[in-house]
Amino acid sequence: MTSTDSKMALHLIQARRIRNFYLLLMIFFMIVLILWVGIPILMTVMWSLVDPKKPWSYPNVFPPSFSLAQWKYVFDYTNIGRALRTSYSVAPLAVLLSLILSLPTSYVLGRKRIPGKKLLMLVVLLPIIMPGMVVALFLSRVFAAFGLSQTFIGLVLAHTLMSIPYMIRVMTTSFQAIPQDVIDAAENLGASTFVKIRDIFLPMIRPGLLAGMIFAFTVSIEEFNLTFIIGTPTFETIPTILYSFMGYNFIRTNASVVALLMMTPNIIMLFIVERFLKSDYLAASLGKM
Amino acid sequence: MSNLRLINLTKRFNEVLAVDNMNLEVTDGEFVTLLGPSGCGKTTTLRSIAGFCYPDEGEIFFGEKLMNNISPNKRNTAMCFQSYALFPHMSVWNNISFGLKMQKIPKQEQKTRVLKVMEMLGIEELQKRKPGQLSGGQQQRVALARAIVTEPQVLLFDEPLSNLDAKLRVQVRVEIREMQKRLGITTIYVTHDQDEALAISDRIVVMDRGHIEQLGDPHTIYRAPETSFVAGFIGLANIYEGTIIGREANRITLDTSFGKIVISSQDQKISETFSKVKFVWRPEDMKIYTRGAPNRVKGKIIQAVFMGNITDIFMDVKGNKMRAQTDESRKLIAGDTIEFSIPEDAFNILRS
Amino acid sequence: MKEKNISPIHVLMLFPGVGFILLFIGSSIFMTLVQSFGLFSITGKSMFTLENWKMILQARESIDSLLFSLKMGLLSSIGTVVVAFPVALFFRKGGTGKGILGSIIKVPLFIPALVAAFLILNLISYHGLVNTVLMRLHLIDEPLRMLNDKFGWGVVFIQIWKNLPFVLLIIMASLASIRDDTIDAAKNLGAGYWSILFRMYVPLAMPGILVSMILMFIKAFGDFPIVSVAGPIYPSSMAGRMHIMATIYQEWDQAAVLGVIIIVTAFIVIWAYSRLAEFLKGEI
Repeated sequence: MTSTDSKMALHLIQARRIRNFYLLLMIFFMIVLILWVGIPILMTVMWSLVDPKKPWSYPNVFPPSFSLAQWKYVFDYTNIGRALRTSYSVAPLAVLLSLILSLPTSYVLGRKRIPGKKLLMLVVLLPIIMPGMVVALFLSRVFAAFGLSQTFIGLVLAHTLMSIPYMIRVMTTSFQAIPQDVIDAAENLGASTFVKIRDIFLPMIRPGLLAGMIFAFTVSIEEFNLTFIIGTPTFETIPTILYSFMGYNFIRTNASVVALLMMTPNIIMLFIVERFLKSDYLAASLGKM
Repeated sequence: MSNLRLINLTKRFNEVLAVDNMNLEVTDGEFVTLLGPSGCGKTTTLRSIAGFCYPDEGEIFFGEKLMNNISPNKRNTAMCFQSYALFPHMSVWNNISFGLKMQKIPKQEQKTRVLKVMEMLGIEELQKRKPGQLSGGQQQRVALARAIVTEPQVLLFDEPLSNLDAKLRVQVRVEIREMQKRLGITTIYVTHDQDEALAISDRIVVMDRGHIEQLGDPHTIYRAPETSFVAGFIGLANIYEGTIIGREANRITLDTSFGKIVISSQDQKISETFSKVKFVWRPEDMKIYTRGAPNRVKGKIIQAVFMGNITDIFMDVKGNKMRAQTDESRKLIAGDTIEFSIPEDAFNILRS
Repeated sequence: MKEKNISPIHVLMLFPGVGFILLFIGSSIFMTLVQSFGLFSITGKSMFTLENWKMILQARESIDSLLFSLKMGLLSSIGTVVVAFPVALFFRKGGTGKGILGSIIKVPLFIPALVAAFLILNLISYHGLVNTVLMRLHLIDEPLRMLNDKFGWGVVFIQIWKNLPFVLLIIMASLASIRDDTIDAAKNLGAGYWSILFRMYVPLAMPGILVSMILMFIKAFGDFPIVSVAGPIYPSSMAGRMHIMATIYQEWDQAAVLGVIIIVTAFIVIWAYSRLAEFLKGEI
């Protein structure tokens, strides 16, 4: 009996070893993941905090000392203020415009049977699929012909164009999700169109509406190609100013500050989206192509 | 030589004990059914045999070989899932030949074996179809074919018929049994359907909350249940308590809440010391009273349900609720008085 | 969910959204096309000509740019999918801390492409962290040129870093439709890790894989900001060349030719994808 006893005990040890191995692998994987995302951001944070009196270069792995001088410099001596203002005034308008334009379209796409719906959905995706710089260059020619080049309105229109696809996709999914029974019940109880909109549709699409607006806002803040061609040099947004700091005018520390300024509202959005909205919307708008 | 052995098998999920110290020996070619309600541990046991669940304690032996650390793809088992689990992106042919492909069996031999199995199950014409184009019954057969073509040491079934309609279920379970007998593969079958278990098993393992309530062939399980759980789970049961007031050579007399009864004590395990016992008999064993019949019971009908070939009667006997079934042809209605007799050998003493 | 029949009002309601897009995208594509043939020229005469096409197609730089952009498209799309797939499998199994990890891995999604380029730039530049660490560890004698390198590795790496969450989400959605039962059955029939990966997971997740590869290819092929920051001096990408052609040389007509080539490539890729998707649906 002793030989079988020891054979049986051995397999328990073996099993534990295998389990531990997998646990280790998982932890390793998780660490790699965190470093993958964390290090680039950390580096940039450090660069933005470099003390101008003690420059950071090889062989130091960390900056010799930290200071907020760079931040002060960027705000005092560059056009960052103007860029911030432009970015954050174009974005809300673009979001509003894309909302207004998307609502009726999403309603029809989400709730009615349309011939060629697949084709229509593809058309909706065009601004995302079309290579950005091509659209930027030649739309700017169209704009120039109509006097929209280098104008605020032109910028808003361009940003709206890039935001609409996300807005429509998310809203279409939202509208689609409303059960027909609920609407039928409302009609059966005598609801007018206005009441239907106010009491049924609007509340039920609210999460989707919010998600769409956040997407649209983010898209507008990040938009580069169109803004670069249509807006510069009259208008600067955060992306274009970052680009200028990365050109032959490369000052790593300035660029770091601007990069962080650009990233932070986005990351806050990320956590809002993750926490308060279902990530279904993310998957729905990106995945269901 | 026994083919499959479970020794002190124990499995916990968080704090819940799914399988509690289970011991089972299955002989070569035997068809054993694990029967019980949901959560009784039958599926966990099955999955442990297949290798999907690692036991917390205990061992699993195929013959002399200890299987615990062997991963599921290296065990010589084949499983039929409740959902059939056919590969949706492969044709029926590729589904069935998958196991052979994994075993690196040469193409020619694959072909002959797959064709033979398909013929056995009558699904040759389905070769090129995809699972999405098959009916439930057809999918079931393909799943079965896929499992047996690999000639496994142990065949495992996880409630394979639950998704079929009643008529198909009865038909297919017989086919499964015939197939198994013909091929002689040791089989473990999991179900919660007692009719199924009784119809096709060599032995039934009745399980509840992780442990074995009773183990035996269908006839014994039905006619001689050992616990109130088994008695109530399979077939209908009237379960009562009584006090022993007399013992004779082959009979004992009990005093119960509905009167004195005499029961046969042959083949019963009756403790010498305790006088209080729990016992059971089946409603269908009750006969309409005729003169001289044993254990006369008089009751007032609360509800009589006419079901065609039998009438199901719920009655009150001296304040006790009792159930009886009879093929009596006259019409019985609530409020009538009726007298039954219960044969002495219809009773079983329960140990819990 | 029943959908009621449409009326003219509904068609009208489609116009704001769809119409807006068609108007602007349509006009820019139109402008690209016609300018490539010499019409609507901003300088000199407007007349139909194939001269621009000849000039572009005969230039050595055009072939090099096209090949370079194709290379970027291919490597970025394949690279991102190859990296994303195991991560998606990891998340499928669930496990501790998945929620927080899920959020962390999604961060690059919310970081604009330009910022992403800059972040990675810091790491892999000549005096960046990676080189510093490698030299400290004495693994290399002098810093590696990972940025602005002739091959374009810097660009590919940035594309992968930035787009990983995007592809990850799509593939995860695809994987989610695979039942555990199916994988168990494969294991039960003798399939080892590699068999399960290539015969089960990959084929069943193919729709998601294809979609992400197509989108990534188009993005990387036609990209401007990332390549202009992290790409080689020569050859430039198609979009980069087009931009210089238009804004520096003011040769809008020739730039338009390049633009048309980019658009056509994008459409060919989309067409190829839909054919492939149809083919795969009836196969395996």
